[in-house]
Order: sequence, then C-alpha cells, then structure tokens
Amino acid sequence: MALESTREIYWNIPSGSLPLMYLLSFVATGVMLWGFYRRLKVYQQGQPWVVWPDMGSRILRGLKLALTQKKVKKQKGIGQAHSLFFWGFGVLFIGTVLIFIQADILDPLFGVKFLTGGFYQFYSLSLDVAGLLALVMIVGMFVRRMFVPKMRAAIQPADLWLYLDLGLILATGYLIEGLRMAVTELVQNPELAQYSPVGHGLAQLLYPLGEESLRAWHLGIWWFHMVLVMAFLGMIPFTRLKHIVLTPANYLLFSPTPKGHLDTLDLEDEAAESFGLATPSDLRFKDIFDTDACTSCQRCQDRCPAYNTDKPLSPMKLIEDLGKVCTDMENGSLIDAVGKEALFACTTCSACMEICPAEIEHIPKIIGMRRNLALMEGEFAGEEVAKAMDAMEVNGNPLGYAPAKRADWADGLSFVPVEEADYLYFTGCYGSFDPRSQQVAKALVTLAEAAGVKLAILGPQEKCCGEPARKMGNEYLYQSLAAENIEMFKEKKVKKIVTSCPHCYQTLGKDYKDMGFDTEVVHYTELLAQLWKDFRFQLDKKAQDVTYHDSCYLGRYNGIFDAPRELLAATGAQLTEMSACKEESFCCGAGGGRILAEENLGTRINNKRASMAQETGADTVVSSCPFCLTMMEDGTKNLEGDSVKAMDLAELLVSCLPTQTPTEEK
Amino acid sequence: MKILVCIKQVADLESRFVVPDGATWFAETDLAFRINEYDEFAIEAAVQIKTALGEGEITVVSLGPARASDGLKKALAMGADQAVHLLDEQGPVKDSWQVAQGIADWAKPEGFDLVLTGMQSQDRGSGQVSIFLSELLELNSVSCAVGLDAEASLLKVERELEGGLRAMVEVSTPALVSCQLGLNTPRYPTLPNIMKAKKKPFETIEVGDLKPNGQDVQWMGAPTSAGAAELIEGDLASQVAKVVSVLKEKNLVG
Amino acid sequence: MKTLVIGEVVQGKLAETFSELLGFSAALGAETSGLILGDTTDRPSFSGTLYVAPGAEYAPKAHKTVVLEAIEKEQPDVVVLMHSAFGWDLAPRIAAASGGQQLSEVIGFEGGVYRQSCCNGKLQRKIKPGAGLCVVTLQAGAFAASTAEGTPSEVALEQSVDSAVKLTGYKQKPPADVDLTKAEKIVSAGRGIGKPENLEMIQALATALGAELGSSRPVVDAGWIDAAHQVGSTGSTVTPKLYMACGISGAVQHLAGMKKSELIIAVNKDKDAPIGEVAQYLVVADLLEFVPALTEALK
Repeated sequence: MALESTREIYWNIPSGSLPLMYLLSFVATGVMLWGFYRRLKVYQQGQPWVVWPDMGSRILRGLKLALTQKKVKKQKGIGQAHSLFFWGFGVLFIGTVLIFIQADILDPLFGVKFLTGGFYQFYSLSLDVAGLLALVMIVGMFVRRMFVPKMRAAIQPADLWLYLDLGLILATGYLIEGLRMAVTELVQNPELAQYSPVGHGLAQLLYPLGEESLRAWHLGIWWFHMVLVMAFLGMIPFTRLKHIVLTPANYLLFSPTPKGHLDTLDLEDEAAESFGLATPSDLRFKDIFDTDACTSCQRCQDRCPAYNTDKPLSPMKLIEDLGKVCTDMENGSLIDAVGKEALFACTTCSACMEICPAEIEHIPKIIGMRRNLALMEGEFAGEEVAKAMDAMEVNGNPLGYAPAKRADWADGLSFVPVEEADYLYFTGCYGSFDPRSQQVAKALVTLAEAAGVKLAILGPQEKCCGEPARKMGNEYLYQSLAAENIEMFKEKKVKKIVTSCPHCYQTLGKDYKDMGFDTEVVHYTELLAQLWKDFRFQLDKKAQDVTYHDSCYLGRYNGIFDAPRELLAATGAQLTEMSACKEESFCCGAGGGRILAEENLGTRINNKRASMAQETGADTVVSSCPFCLTMMEDGTKNLEGDSVKAMDLAELLVSCLPTQTPTEEK
Repeated sequence: MKILVCIKQVADLESRFVVPDGATWFAETDLAFRINEYDEFAIEAAVQIKTALGEGEITVVSLGPARASDGLKKALAMGADQAVHLLDEQGPVKDSWQVAQGIADWAKPEGFDLVLTGMQSQDRGSGQVSIFLSELLELNSVSCAVGLDAEASLLKVERELEGGLRAMVEVSTPALVSCQLGLNTPRYPTLPNIMKAKKKPFETIEVGDLKPNGQDVQWMGAPTSAGAAELIEGDLASQVAKVVSVLKEKNLVG
Repeated sequence: MKTLVIGEVVQGKLAETFSELLGFSAALGAETSGLILGDTTDRPSFSGTLYVAPGAEYAPKAHKTVVLEAIEKEQPDVVVLMHSAFGWDLAPRIAAASGGQQLSEVIGFEGGVYRQSCCNGKLQRKIKPGAGLCVVTLQAGAFAASTAEGTPSEVALEQSVDSAVKLTGYKQKPPADVDLTKAEKIVSAGRGIGKPENLEMIQALATALGAELGSSRPVVDAGWIDAAHQVGSTGSTVTPKLYMACGISGAVQHLAGMKKSELIIAVNKDKDAPIGEVAQYLVVADLLEFVPALTEALK
C-alpha cells in the first residue's frame, strides 16, 4: 500500500483533552498579553505617542531588520550564532502555526490538509534541522552564560529557568516525535522517517519499549511539553524573553533623522515649564520603550570608551536605570538615578547606538538630561566647563582668546573674498587659536593652493560653531552662536563650506539645517580625495608606517572612512589598521563637549587609544580632527616603549607635496 | 532690605588693546565685553544674601555707554530684580570721582540698605568708585571682602590683607561692601532666569554733568619696554641649551 | 613740595613698606611728615614731624578724621599711602573730602606726571595731577625704600572710637609647609599650565633645580594648589636668586610679589606677556614642552 507522507495531528492525544489544551493556550496567551499590556501605562508616562503616516514602511523595514537579523549580526561570531538560533526557533514557530492553521481552521472548516506529500517531507526535515540548530545554540548560550566571566556577572535569576525551559521544550519535542515515529513510522513508513532524522534516530532507540509503553510516554511527555510551552509563553514579558516582542517592535519606533540629530528646542516657548529631561514625563514614548527593548546584551558597554576606562558610565546601565525610574511610576528624578558623573562622562562617540541591535537611542537621552542640568540649574561637568561656556559667550570661542586674534594664524597667507572663493574655510576654534591645530589649518591652505582651490576665511567674524556647548547641554548658547554664524553666512552669501573639524562639519552641515541654514558643507578629506581623483594635485610617495584613527564624527556619524584612506594610499604610506577601526573605532575622548572638561575619573581614554595605535607597530597615528589630534598628541606622549607620532592627515599630505624646483634668483 | 549692586562692563582682558595716537583710551572695535569680574562676585553675593534673608529687592546699576545694558541683562539673569542704566557714552573715559557722583546722584534718594560692588575694575584697577560712592552716599563701607555674612542689619566681613592675613570686621547696615576675587562662585544663569530677565524692570537714565577731579590724562599706551626681557626663541633644544647655560653662568646649577 | 605719608599698623607692627613711602617722598625731594594710625611701638627713621594716633588698626571714619586733622596742620601737596588693603581703602576717603583727586597704584613719577599701570599690565597711563590736594597710593616695590636716618619729632593725635565699623580680630592662614620668603630658588606655575595635572611637571623642574614650588593667584583660586604657594601682593613677596615663571602672564599683583628676584626667567607662549617687563629672559615656548625638556636636560 502506498503510504501518505503525512502524520496525524494530535495522534495519541484523547480528543477530550484538546479543550484543556486550548484553555491553557488562552490562559498562557492572556498572561503574555497582560504582561505586555501592563507596561503600557509605564510607556504612557512620557510624551504622547506620535502616530506616523508611514507606519506601513516602518513595518516593512522592521520585519526586514528582524528577519535578516542585520543589526544583531554586527557583533561578529555571537551575532551569527544568535541569528541561527533565531532562524531555528523561527522555523519551529512557523511549523507550529502551520499545524494550527490546518488543525484548527482549514481541516475542520474546509476539510483541507496541506501537511502532506512532498511539502510535508520538506516541512518535517526543516523542523528537525531547525530544532537541532536551536538545541545546539541553547546549549552554547548556557555554556557561555555560565563560563564566560562577563556573562556570568550579568546573570539574572530567571536565566537558568529559561535555559531549562527552552532546552526541555526542544528536547521533549524530539522525544515526542521519536516516540510517535516509533509507533507510526519507523516500521510502517521508513521512507518518510528519513525526513525526520533526529526523530528517526530516537525512534530506533525507543522502539524496544513496546507500543503500550511508547504511547504512555508519548502522552505524558506531550503534556509536559505543552506545559513547558505555556510556561514559556507566559514568561515572555516577565523575563529577558520580552525582547522577542519588544526589540523588533522598537524597530517601528526608530527616528528617521540623520545620525547625531538632536531636537532643536524652541527656547522661546513660554508655555514650556522645563527644558531637557528631568523626569519620566519629559521622555518620549520611544525613550521609555527603549528601556524595555534593551536585552542587556552588553554590546554598548563593551565599546563605551568611558566604561572601558573605569568611569561610572555604562550605556547599558544608564538605560536600565532610566527603566527603573519609569517602572517605579513615581515620576522620579532621572538624573539622580543615572548619576551626574556618569552623565558627564559620555563623549557621544555613538559606539553604543551604532552597535545596539535594539536601536536604542542612548545619546539623545544623555544630552536631554545634560540640557536639564545646564538650562534649568546652570550646572555643568565642572567649573572649567562653566568658564568655557562663559568664554564662548563673551569671546566666541571656548579657549577665551580675543576674537580680534581669530585670524592671526593666517598672517602671511592669502585668501580671496567670499564671493570669489570656491569654498569658505570655516577654520573653527582650535584651528584658529590652538598652536598645534593652527599648523593643520596652514597645511590645509597649502593643499588648497596646490590644488588650485580658492579659499576664503571669515576671521574675527567667525564664531564657535557651538557644538561643545550643545553637547554639554547648553542649547541656549548653541542656538545664539548658531544664529550669529548663520546671519554672517547669509550676509556674506556663503555657498560652500570646507572644514578641518568633524564637529564643525556635523554641526554646520546637519545641525544648522534646523536653524535655517542649508548649504553644502564638506570635510577636507572628502574634498581632497575628490581633488586627488581629479588629478588636481601631485604627491611624491613616501614610504612610512602609519595607522589611522577614525574620528567618531567623521566615521560613525558620517560614514567617511574611505576618503582619508584613499589619501593615505596616495601618499604611499603603509597603513596598518587598529583592531578597533572604522565603525568600531575607539573614541579619543574629546567628544560630547569633553574637550572642555578635565578628566578626573578612571584612566585616560586618550592613553588607551594611543596604546592601541602603538600596538599596530606604526610610527605615526594619523587623524583628521583637531580634537583627536590634541588627544593623540597627549596620549602618545604618555606611551612607554616604542614612540608614536601624532599627525593630522593634512600635515602628512603637505609633507608629500612635490618640492618646488629652485628658481634662478636664489 | 534694599540692595544695590553697582557693576561695570569692561573689555575682556584677553583682548588686543590699541590706543589710537593722541587718544587716552583704547579703541573699542573688535573687542569682546563682559561684566567686570569683581562685580560678578558682588551680584552673586547680593543674590545669596537675598536668598538667605528670605526677602529683599536687588537693583543693579551701571554707568556707561549703550553696550553696558548687556551687563545689566546678565545681572538680571543672575537674580537681580531690576536694572538701571545710567547712560553715558563717555563713561569709559570719565574719572572715578565723576562715575561715583553719577551713581550717587541717582542712588541717594533711593535709600539703599546695602550696596555691593567689585573692589576694582579690571581695566582701570583703581578701586576708587566703591569708596567714593560710600563717601558720597554717607555710608559706612568696608573694602576687599573675601567673606561676607549678612544677618538682618549686621554684616560680618572678612577683609583680605597682605601675606594671606585676614581681618574680621563688623559693620551695621546701611553700608557698602566691595568684593574681592574668590568671595563666592558666581552662578551661571539658568534659561528660565534669562527669559524672566527680559521682563524685569529696566530703566535708562541719561547722566547729567559730572564734576571732574582735575586730573589730566596725558597719555595712554603700551608700556615702554625699558629693561625688557631677552627673548629666547628657536627650536626646543636650543632654547633648553640656552637656559641651562644661563643657569650655569650664575652658578645656580652644578 | 610737601608730602604726608601714612603708615599702617597690623597686629601691633608698623608695616615695613613705610620706608617705600619715605623713599617716594625723598625721590620727589619733598618735605616729609608722617602719620601712623594704630597702636605700635615701632617708629620709622626720617627727619620731620611724625603724627601718632594710637587706637584701632582699621577704622575708616576715625582714620579719615585723623588724617584730615593732620592735613589741616601740615598742608601737604600730596598724601601718600601704599596700595595695600589698608591704603586703597583709606585713600579715596581722604580724597573725597577734598575734590576727589586720587591716584591708585602709582608706578612712577617723572616731571610732575604720575605713571599708572592698567588692563592687567598691558597698558599704562600718564596722569598730571590738577590743582589741590592729591592722594596717591604706591605700588609695592615701585619706589626704592628710604635709607634715611633720623628721629622724627612726634605729635600725638587722638583717634576717636569708630563704633560703626569694628575690627574684631585677625585670622592667620594655616601654618604653611613651605615658606617661599626664605627660598633661594622658586619655580612658579601660572594659569598657562592648563590643568592641575600639569603641576607635576612644574614640581619636577623645581625638584631638579632644588627649588621651591610657587604659583600665581589663579592657580590657587582654582583650588589646584595650596595658598601657601601663592606669590604676589596677597601671597608671599619673595626675593630668591632664581625665579622661573611658567605660564604666568604677569599681572601686576604677581609682579609685585616677585620682581625683586635676582634672576627671572619666564616661559610663555606669548612673547608680549607683561612678565617680560621684569624678567631678564623670556623663553617663547609652550611650557608643556619646554619644562619637561629642561627638567630632562638638568638631570
């Protein structure tokens, strides 16, 4: 007789017990839904949910990210492992859904069964493989949790129950299959049995028990499996497992703004009682949801430059702390929960946000809390920061130099008026006043000349772009400076800007858009890389061993990784990358307005980064940012052992410009 | 308690000062201005006293050109209740006696209990206006406070003397106290206070004739470098070598 | 030309700066009379009349009254005080009673014209006094102390009790672990060091030179170093054989405390820094590079 490739759903399960199964399912699902529902009032403490018209595309995007595990896979190794686990369980879940569709809808209502034939063979094989994959992954996760120190340290009480539950669900699933197949397939339909290899193997082992025993075990373990699954369902919202629902859901809430975007507050708003983030009622719906979407995976913490230099800041803990305040439902102080030292330790390097698989937005919350302290309390990271704010207000630069001296660095250099220039060179405060960075400014001018690019500078009329003030929470000072600069740009009819500072680049090019200024802003590396491609200048190749430090605001924020590397290659330099490079670059420590502050806690971030540069064996660490240069100069000086020089890419390029042939009149 | 704080807006000391030929004060082009640092301590002291006493009204006054209103606005943002701008475009070149008269003429009928001001200005540094003002207002005064405690009508002042010594002085209001650096930490204005400041009473009064003291400023300029230092420039190694040789020459190092 | 020089008494001692007042008077070739306000057994040496008014050491109204009395008797052209906490407090009061002619912190007097420093030493002014009484305060160390001998004839004046302003006592700064006034060599740190961590490198240089560590006022105000290390008019006045000023621009108050040092070497990025006025050498360099390099070379 020709045997069908199928199986009887609910074989060996008395039909009278099915209502109980459905009841349990409803209860478990109810518990699960209630578990999530009760969080709703926590989320609703914040600013009201904003319903977006583009929810359709958000759902598509979210599905794509979740199914491909794109963000999870950024963490090499463990990311791939999680993806396998996810897909494994995903397949099993789909398998269960298909059974539900056939057993509860299509079969009873229309007499349709599709889990047959070739499809069933494919179905059964897929599930067996998926289940095995999931089981291997679960065991691996358990081992990692128990034996890797940092994972062990972060263990939560429910974790062991979860491993047990999930592991047993998988194991009992195979047992049920094996027990059934021992009775229905092993002997009767060996061809079909091949399509369930694990089950087949188990069936062979268990066969000797005899049908009566097999059936009894099958029923018992089936119910056990049922209970485990119900427990699993119910546990989801109360344990780590909640990320199954919340993390993909968080994808729907993402902010479609450019990287590094911060809300430009309406400071004139008379109705506003408070500015910045002080209590849960100040947070957005997404901010509170973020705290729930966190899976405590520690990837942000692993990369945080503050955390890795013994500062009290951990981005993960920050999110946890905010979550606790929100869960307490007492509209308590967010800043007290996080701690001011932790709050001010952030360099806004964005390593946390870049890697976060849940798309949590750490930085806007930190800036929001800093805004509350700065605007409502006049409080800053330290006296020295308050002084720098004062200097920005009075002198238009945080260093306190007289504005009249802003163009002193350019003595002897020639520029054209703004109308005739190809680019306005926005020199920035460091380029204008800091002796080391002035050399970079001069180098850039030399390069522009070599490439036939006409530059203009604003000189004393240029003011600080306002970035350090903004990142330290002083939105008012930032907006005043920005407004003054923008008025100047408009008056001079500035069309294109080039800058040697990634912070100015980000601020003038992106932040200023909210203040009504939208003009082409390029970083010198982009400009020079293009000019090089266009054969606008020559370089004499010089063999030297260098490593390149990607600035956070150039790399992670703006994706400019290739341009500087192309230029380095053009100089003939031999580039050895640090292990933490490109998107994984380790911050120099000066971002987030911390260039203004003293580093009193933990160890020095710049020293750590300098050691990383030293490890490459390179003679020089090259960067394209005045803050990075300042920090690397300092950091490399503190190195023991092989010395490393700190240079800006512009200086390196100038050193490779062909020397002029001597003229007659020497 | 009626408190008066007298402030002066001065050019930021980092500025490059240029005195045009024949002029007796520096040109104001391209200069950044700020409240005289010493006066910031006075504003802060006034706000702290008002907070401690739980009552009081702080008036901040400045005699100077139009730009002096910026300083007054900041003082309001720090916590002063109302501002009075004694407008005088020639303010910067008037002598201290004239400035004190200008303020006294307006302040006398107001009947202030406590007058606070900086001990000296960062530009002139003469430290005269405060004391002149107290004499014209017939108030007891104590200068150079690095400590100030106000209890209703009794003021306990710590004066800073030479060599780190301090004198403890008591004086009853009405009185004037001039503030020295380090008296307190002037607060950074919060945004709500900056916004509130825009609505606080602000009066501008044009200053009348003020009697000068008869002194004649004949010249102002950069110090003539008589006996100026020998500059040691060049690369680091040669600079170090030069200094070491100078030290050896004078037998200061072995 | 007649002068009335006014000496201050602190904790029963006549301030030594009295001799600078006499020196100034002598430089003017003036007939000098003196006035001491407060209880002291110290007496200066000069020929002329010395008014002595025992009583409180700080009593603005009472002191002013006594001074006006002495002025009435002596009819001086110039009344001279030191630009000290005592002097800058009393001088304007005296001037206010007579037309408001007062000149603070005078650093020179040539051809009937006074020279004053302003804007943190970046600028100077020349001021010719008008008719009538002029009250001047002198910058410490600007005028050579008098070496005159002689015993003045004393006249007692009465100081009424100033009940309005009461000096209740003095507070000494806590005993210092360092006495810069006795140091032979001093290396000082100024605001130019940038951050407190850089004090270490200044200390390292001081150690290499066998010198004491000093500082300017801003460094003390910022809390980076104890006030015992402060050099200046409100800190210690020092006269070492070597004074190295690192990152110190040269505010008048600081210069007043160290300009009598035998050899002054300044390290500053700014070649126009006012410290150049008193230093013999000014190394134009970034102290963060120069200081460690010099320390290294001295080892």
